[in-house]
Amino acid sequence: MPSADIHAAGLVFTAEMYGVQLDQLAAAVGAPERRAVALVARWTNAGLADAARLGPGPRWVWLTRAGLATSGLPYTAAAPALSRLAHLRAVTAVRLALTATPQFGAGKAFWRSERRLRARFGRKIGLREHIPDGEVHWPDAADEGSVTKGVAWAGECWAIEAELTPKTLTKTVAVMREVLARTGDYGCPAADIAVPGRPARHARVIYLCSPAAWPVVTRARGALGGMAAKVEIRLLPQGAQYFPHSPPAAAHGDPR
Amino acid sequence: MRRWLGLLVAQAVLKGLVRVAVAVLVAAAAIAAAPVTVIAAIGFGAAWYQGWQPRRLLIASAWCVPMVVTWLVASGHQPAAVAYDSWLAFWRLARTGAIPRAAATIAPLAVPLGLVVGGLAWSYRIRSLSAGAGGLSPASSVAFDQRQWRHQARAARARIAAPGSVPLTMRDDLLVVGAVIRTVGQRAGQLASIGYQRMRSHQVIVGTTGTGKTTLLLRLWAGFMATGLRRHAAGLGPPPLLVVLDCKGGSAARRIADRVRRVLREAGARSTAVWPDEASLSLWTLPPRQLTTTLVDLIEHGTGGAAYYTDVMEALVGLAVEAPCGPPGSSQDLLARLEPGWLSMAYASTGTAADHAMISSAAGHLADVALRYRTLFRRLGGGLDGPGSFECADAWYCILEGTDLISVAESQARALVDLLASFAVRGPVKREILLAVDEFSAVSRRLPIWQLYERARALGLAVQVSAQSWQGLGASDDERRRIAASAEGGIWLLRTPEPEPIAVFAGTRKVVDTTRRLARFPFWAHAGSSRVAERPVVDAGLIRALDVGQAANIYRGGVTYVQVKRLVSAPAAVGGSKAGPVLAAPAGREATDLTEAGAAARMPTSGRDLAGAALPDVSAVLDAAFGPERPR
Repeated sequence: MPSADIHAAGLVFTAEMYGVQLDQLAAAVGAPERRAVALVARWTNAGLADAARLGPGPRWVWLTRAGLATSGLPYTAAAPALSRLAHLRAVTAVRLALTATPQFGAGKAFWRSERRLRARFGRKIGLREHIPDGEVHWPDAADEGSVTKGVAWAGECWAIEAELTPKTLTKTVAVMREVLARTGDYGCPAADIAVPGRPARHARVIYLCSPAAWPVVTRARGALGGMAAKVEIRLLPQGAQYFPHSPPAAAHGDPR
Repeated sequence: MRRWLGLLVAQAVLKGLVRVAVAVLVAAAAIAAAPVTVIAAIGFGAAWYQGWQPRRLLIASAWCVPMVVTWLVASGHQPAAVAYDSWLAFWRLARTGAIPRAAATIAPLAVPLGLVVGGLAWSYRIRSLSAGAGGLSPASSVAFDQRQWRHQARAARARIAAPGSVPLTMRDDLLVVGAVIRTVGQRAGQLASIGYQRMRSHQVIVGTTGTGKTTLLLRLWAGFMATGLRRHAAGLGPPPLLVVLDCKGGSAARRIADRVRRVLREAGARSTAVWPDEASLSLWTLPPRQLTTTLVDLIEHGTGGAAYYTDVMEALVGLAVEAPCGPPGSSQDLLARLEPGWLSMAYASTGTAADHAMISSAAGHLADVALRYRTLFRRLGGGLDGPGSFECADAWYCILEGTDLISVAESQARALVDLLASFAVRGPVKREILLAVDEFSAVSRRLPIWQLYERARALGLAVQVSAQSWQGLGASDDERRRIAASAEGGIWLLRTPEPEPIAVFAGTRKVVDTTRRLARFPFWAHAGSSRVAERPVVDAGLIRALDVGQAANIYRGGVTYVQVKRLVSAPAAVGGSKAGPVLAAPAGREATDLTEAGAAARMPTSGRDLAGAALPDVSAVLDAAFGPERPR
């Protein structure tokens, strides 16, 4: 990937995911980690990003206000919350795993991040609305002939949920029902959120679970009855692990 | 004789002189305290015109205390000296013609004192007239009361007309219904409100057509929904569920359903399902034993000798529903089970001897039972054949054609109430349920709502019954009384020609009843006798004369007359998509394909809405990204 493309793609990817670790950034831009380190150093020197070791594993990178303005994204600049680091890593790993599949490219799918969904609310975010960790949109095929080149599920929108810790069964069932019953886009008027008879927004919800969360999510799907067919459950990919056994942090150095 | 006549004359002259002296003294005092007199007169007049209670003037006076204290502190002298100096300064300035300056000088003293004097005078006037002692004749109190009612109603209408003056809810979980016209035995205030917990208790609403009953109900439902959702968001309780049974049916019910949906949307409800036009429920989710009872109750039975056939029907339905292979999933499934041979086959391997004996003895009636159920299901339509469950929406508006298809509406009401009771007991998620039965008289014959009334609280279910008259509340007087007596959340009375049986539930209050001696018509002397008497809290005559939008709320031995504030909902969406059935099939059930032509219109607008409908297999992409799924 040319340097300019890496620069732009990396900036947008980092902004969309709140913040990413260097290894995931390297995977996202399709470059060796060494090149990702250089890229981040460029960003931090230009004031576009901040990088720091927030926890175990590689350094985290996130965009500053200037970086977000350069990317043209209307988000509020903030460092990733320490309590969400494991979750952010898991979601990024899910995105990377999904986008790496041949079907993703063939279907011209795109990932709509939680941050983008949340931004649609502005400041009026409702207390009751659950926002998925991401959405995958599979655009409709352009014409009949192109279907053969695309995917069978073209036109669908999937909700992505990364479950690291097990929640209560009731809560999980409620989240599944809410996501599957939703008809309106995020940020739409309250009256359009779930209108009986309108097509559901999410054709299915994909749960990526840790081994600990797997049993509850599976039981919750069982409690959905007929809607269970719309829930797919898989284990989180390998890269989702939040490096609990990583080498000492000092070994990576700090650019600042 | 002359001396006696002279004594009488002297007595009369003396009385006259005393009266003149008192009048002169009062007039002198009023003139001397002119600022206080003016404020008192203004306060008295305003209270008369607006129909206020005297308390309001006294409270207004109390609010002046900070001003008086500040004024006294700023003056820096003894309060009495400050007051006297201000009074002198007022007259001095008034003589020079500086009236505004004079008024400003005395205002801190005159305003609170004037309000107190006005309030006391107004209180004296009200009390003397309500006791029958004031006025020129005993009829004065009646005319005064009617005039005051007109003033109070006018003021209440003015209060609700101001934009934003009547919120839907207030803090402390209060639902605002409208403006207070008058209260008896209850706390007076500007706005009429009821606590959320009263909405969680049973209520009764009685009022003839066109009196504003629907407006009141909409307000109560929207308030219930908004408060319930807010409490749920705050973690104070489970989410609310509103289920309305509109037993009138027809096009009017559809219009109201649309209005309800729009109003509830603005109250925060995310989805309102309209049954059976746009959504359906599944009767077949009931537990088998309950399903048997409900199915048998759906069909009208005779008594006496006909009870034999009821027993046969119950036995056959029980065998079909509780068959070893599980309960039926649809009406078609049940009818298939009532075919000859099916029961024998189903019980062939696992049935007991008693089952087989029952099957063989009742087999002769199988065709008749099947015919009755085929007829019943044809008349009921597909609304109870699923998919759908009460948990799928925040509110359900169920339209029963009680005006032209009474027996169908009765059966539907019975089934819906059984479904709701089952949902309240066994639902996957606990909900705070309000069941509102509008035009209850259409289904009261076969819907034993009072049974539900008495056990509903334990289920977390509140029942709100509305009818056009006392007679519409139940088939017998005993049933009506049981329903009204259990209405812990209060009784709402709108204009109705016979309010007395309901007004009784407000009880009586003690009042002073005064008789006055007739001097010579049309003059009554101010002499007579008084006694304490019991008088009904609710004035039945007033109820009969209530205007549109006026209601009386009877609660805990008191009554509040309310001018209900109409909820203005957003206009209907132009060309908006018509809502379809509820998305979710109930747990463990598949969506049923209805054969009726009308049912096709009730199917989801999108194929992918039906749970389990043929979704493309996405295993390839998920397996590639995350590996295969563990075995289910």
